[in-house]
Amino acid sequence: MTNHFNDIRHAKLVFFIGSNAAEAHPVAMQHILYAKEVNNAPIIVVDPRFTKLAAKATDYVRIRPGTDTAFLMGLINQLIQNEWYDKEFVRTRVAGFEELKEVAAHYTPEVVEDITGVPAKEVVRIAKLMATHRPGTVVWCMGLTQHHIGSSNTRAACILQLMLGNMGVSGGGTNIFRGHDNVQGATDMCVLSHSLPGYYGLSEKAWRHWCEVWGVDYEWMKSRFHSKEYMEKPGFTLARWYEGVIQEDKIYQYTPIKAVVFWGCSSTSQSQYHKLKKALDKLELVVIIDPFPTTTAAMCEKDNVYLLPSTSQYETEGSVTSSCRQAQWRYKVVDPIYDSKTDYEILQEFVKRFGFADKFFKNIKKIPEDVTREIARGTLTIGLVGWLPERIKKHTDNWHTFDIDTLQAKGGPCDGEYYGLPWPCWTEEHPGTPILYDISKPVAKGGLPFRARFGTEYTYPSGRKENLLAAEGVANPGSEIMGGYPEFKGWKTDVRVIKEAVKRGMAPFGNARARCYCWNFPDPVPVHREPLHSPRPDLIKKYPTYPDKPNHYRVYTRFKSEQKPELVKEFPLVLITGRVVEHMGGGDETRSNKYLAELMPEVYAEINPRVANNYGLREGDMIWVESPEGGRIRVKVKITDRVDDRTIFIPYSFGGMFMGRSMAANYPDGLVPYAIGEPANIVVNYGYDIKTQIQATKEGLCRIRKA
Amino acid sequence: MAARKIVPQTTSPSGTKITLNPKMARRSFLKIAAATTALTGLALSGRLTKRAEAKTPKSPYSQSKIVRTICTYCSVGCGIYAEVENGVWVRQEIAQDHPVSRGGHCCKGAGAIDMVRSEKRLRSPMKRENGRWKRISWEQALDEICSKLLEIREKYGPDAVHWNGSAKVSTEMAYLQRKLAAFWGTNNIDHQARI
Repeated sequence: MTNHFNDIRHAKLVFFIGSNAAEAHPVAMQHILYAKEVNNAPIIVVDPRFTKLAAKATDYVRIRPGTDTAFLMGLINQLIQNEWYDKEFVRTRVAGFEELKEVAAHYTPEVVEDITGVPAKEVVRIAKLMATHRPGTVVWCMGLTQHHIGSSNTRAACILQLMLGNMGVSGGGTNIFRGHDNVQGATDMCVLSHSLPGYYGLSEKAWRHWCEVWGVDYEWMKSRFHSKEYMEKPGFTLARWYEGVIQEDKIYQYTPIKAVVFWGCSSTSQSQYHKLKKALDKLELVVIIDPFPTTTAAMCEKDNVYLLPSTSQYETEGSVTSSCRQAQWRYKVVDPIYDSKTDYEILQEFVKRFGFADKFFKNIKKIPEDVTREIARGTLTIGLVGWLPERIKKHTDNWHTFDIDTLQAKGGPCDGEYYGLPWPCWTEEHPGTPILYDISKPVAKGGLPFRARFGTEYTYPSGRKENLLAAEGVANPGSEIMGGYPEFKGWKTDVRVIKEAVKRGMAPFGNARARCYCWNFPDPVPVHREPLHSPRPDLIKKYPTYPDKPNHYRVYTRFKSEQKPELVKEFPLVLITGRVVEHMGGGDETRSNKYLAELMPEVYAEINPRVANNYGLREGDMIWVESPEGGRIRVKVKITDRVDDRTIFIPYSFGGMFMGRSMAANYPDGLVPYAIGEPANIVVNYGYDIKTQIQATKEGLCRIRKA
Repeated sequence: MAARKIVPQTTSPSGTKITLNPKMARRSFLKIAAATTALTGLALSGRLTKRAEAKTPKSPYSQSKIVRTICTYCSVGCGIYAEVENGVWVRQEIAQDHPVSRGGHCCKGAGAIDMVRSEKRLRSPMKRENGRWKRISWEQALDEICSKLLEIREKYGPDAVHWNGSAKVSTEMAYLQRKLAAFWGTNNIDHQARI
């Protein structure tokens, strides 16, 4: 999130696309409803399904799944054509406008209507609404990202906000409501196959930086790897690791995967689940570390699996980063229950047995505080320098002293600082950055320009040259240079450079323009591409997907060869999945809670009355839902107008059933969750984002029949 | 100098002003409250008087302490007041004074306490043997797992192991998971943020 939940109280308009905050982030809703009721802000909800959030909207836009980019580009085009965009913002802080304009021109209201199903005049009306209600915020979640063009969708949403001049202002911003409690923290630490902590990447320079922080020799670290090539090559992802085992798509690694460790991670949230199940039965070793046995344990039918009981997070402590980049200290409530151990203890036992404990814990005597300090020493890129354990604890201890409108402390021990020291928190004294890219404040007081990450000048394919730095006169108050400037040399590895920059009133990472044209992406300006499995064969020809991508995170990923126009004849319905408020993720925690299980005891498929009548289905009937890849699940019918007559919806947090078969007997005695059901991800289709390999769970086809 | 009347206003950092008048809001609330009281009459006021006179019930947990902590479900990061007595988490209370959640809880957060009370928690390390789950000691579990992992590393190389880390642990633990994969010698590590 560029802004924070409380800041939405200042919005004049809230635009949701692919978010169901009423169910996924219920407590954030108070700030959204405040904007609606006090500011009279329109609440626009763009979603294929009339969600519980849509029920709170002033304007609901039903969109065909997988066509978000077309809709967003349609809005952008309207802003440009009618000159409703923020010209001064674009002139001073945006790059690639001409290139954007050219691509956007294709998305006329009529073209958008054809692709998305949103009436042409609605496209114009929504664009005008956004132009006349500024600042407005744009919110999205996995409904926008989980597509084969997910990275284009998110960029189109960012460009929309640039056009409206809604970036870097209170009440504006691109606000991605993140899922799990610490998904922001874990992302910042880069528990990711393509980067070291702090988004440093995997280059030799990145490894040398972290080796220095850890106090280990780079050559020793290199010797741990198969080769330098593998040290710098992104690994398998959570979305497709199982291909490393079953190899139905070709893999690009010298060995198949033989063992997997699930450490606080569910398996049922991964698509193509019936293939993942094959991998579980083929592996030599499966290790599950979790407070609950998890569905994964019940899915293993070979003697290759171990369960280690870790504690819940209330039986240990550490910092946790909320969606708004705020750190809070999650204090320990009670000692570990039963014979469980904290994750830290389990990790220490592993490290000891692997024989590198002295090197691994060189700077770490006290856990977790010394770990927090090591993170602060190494993570300069996103400014975690000021995240010291005692500062984070001080904020949590004094949470009552912060103002609800600004999240700034009014007096008290944290006076003037922002709650949770939202990163970048450049120094030990920095108050945190509550709103990213806000040039109205000095950098030392939480202001920030756009980052200069891609050089100072670029020549577009048309031959047009553009200065990528911010225009003359645009900088934070107190900046030594009143205009654009490049990044400071060495700021990512030397904290002294950061301190020097902040002292001079400047951002260590420079002051640039935000790009509408990203030459390092497959589509430099976002364009619509039909889902791999599309219900509109006529549009596949016009808007085809990408060529196949070999060696995509070590596995061959099909795009073009998977896009089959005839598929819709056999699989006529579009399948989407999502959250319910009672359950979360794979659901192992929530389905083990008897109250939540009673509130939401079973999985179901939402089906439009027209579809139900055409198939002769009544409320409560059981149906088989089948995917083109051979996945099938048996679920109950829920007849509702929430979905249209071409779409069905299934919540994804269930597990413990597998293609009609109960796996209940496969849990340890007495530990079957209170609620079990078919994982929707068995029928979620093949398909992954071209850039990030996020799975495409919000598009794809299926068929249904009465069970 | 005459005292000036101050109209309460909140100013957002962007300079746009949102006019609010809490006094007005409070006044209309009082009006409504007065009307309701008038309608419901004596019975209600009688009950209220009685309740006000009653002694505050004694807490069943006289030795308890309150711990501030953060909900483990979603990324809103709601505050929780956990009441602990003799090492047992006995009650939880909403955090009215938390700047983001302001006393809000969803149905999941309201049952946070169940994370340590659920009867479905795994009680000890286990392994699957001849198709049945068998309880084993930590020592045995860790020894067997680690020697098997080292054996696989020796035989096939460090990339033969895939680590699925977590967005449900602390930032420190997430960092240690990434560091562990590095020291193990692989980039085959990922977590829920990918999907």
